[in-house]
Amino acid sequence: MKTIVITGTRKGIGKALADYYLAAGWRVVGCSRGASSITHAHYQHFALDVSDEDAVVAMARKMKSSHGSVDALLNNAGIASMNHALLTPASTVNRILQTNVVGTFLFCREMAKLMRRTKNGRIINFTTVAHPLNLEGEAIYAASKAAVESLTRILARELAELQITVNAIGPTPIETDLIRGVPQAKMDALLARQAVRRMGEVRDVINAVDFYLREESDFITGQVLYLGGVC
Amino acid sequence: MPDRPAIEALILESVQLLAEDFELDALKAPTTDTALYGEGGALDSMALVNLIADIEEALAEQHDVSIALADEKAMSAKNSPYRSVRSLTDAVLERLPA
Repeated sequence: MKTIVITGTRKGIGKALADYYLAAGWRVVGCSRGASSITHAHYQHFALDVSDEDAVVAMARKMKSSHGSVDALLNNAGIASMNHALLTPASTVNRILQTNVVGTFLFCREMAKLMRRTKNGRIINFTTVAHPLNLEGEAIYAASKAAVESLTRILARELAELQITVNAIGPTPIETDLIRGVPQAKMDALLARQAVRRMGEVRDVINAVDFYLREESDFITGQVLYLGGVC
Repeated sequence: MPDRPAIEALILESVQLLAEDFELDALKAPTTDTALYGEGGALDSMALVNLIADIEEALAEQHDVSIALADEKAMSAKNSPYRSVRSLTDAVLERLPA
């Protein structure tokens, strides 16, 4: 049975991805700050903060002793905060960078160690269309995801020798808690900048993840795939 | 805490396993004086990264010790701690909690 690690599985896209890969026959190891919202014989949950280095290392060690190796990682956990730059406190900046950048890096590092022996690892990071669209009000969120994209491209090169691919997906807005509170007018303006003008759905993300996970995708690495025709 | 012979044995075993994985004949029977990285060493940079990760993992698994061997001190050291089994053993011992 293949093992996939998905961060941020308590709700939203992370939970939907976990449900999907459990149904597809994978062993899913998830995490979130709180308790699990998934009950399944092949689901294991770790309650942790993704930016807590000791906790992430401890999770990786437990996984090594229980499962041996990891086949794929979906770095889904992320937070956003829509606000004008002039009104954004440093505490918000630090919180977003810690979760989105430090958390993504720590999981890449620790799970790549567990993928070394499989010779076919897959890492998929999550970015956002807010970065290429330079969305006002999303300065820190978009900047954090720009860092994730850079991390993705460089890790793709560093991990290629270990036969680990590293790619990213940039979803458009999807109905989740992450965009709750974004005014409708802002949302309409954003959709107008997409080639395909509709809200994203979880199935759009799953389709892209499935593509990166395919065995035949071993020649595809360092790529960022924006959904909705954003470029 | 593990003593010097225990650390050296752990490093020698890690080098041996890595040599099999990477098919490095020069490292299949390592000793204390075996050169690893740099002048006369058989490891390239990727093999060294793997060896460091293996040693850190083995220390955690066998001795419940968590250390970072590629810390800033190691990266800026005049003499690389990665040059031989002996110097790597010294580096581990220096980083073990008191």
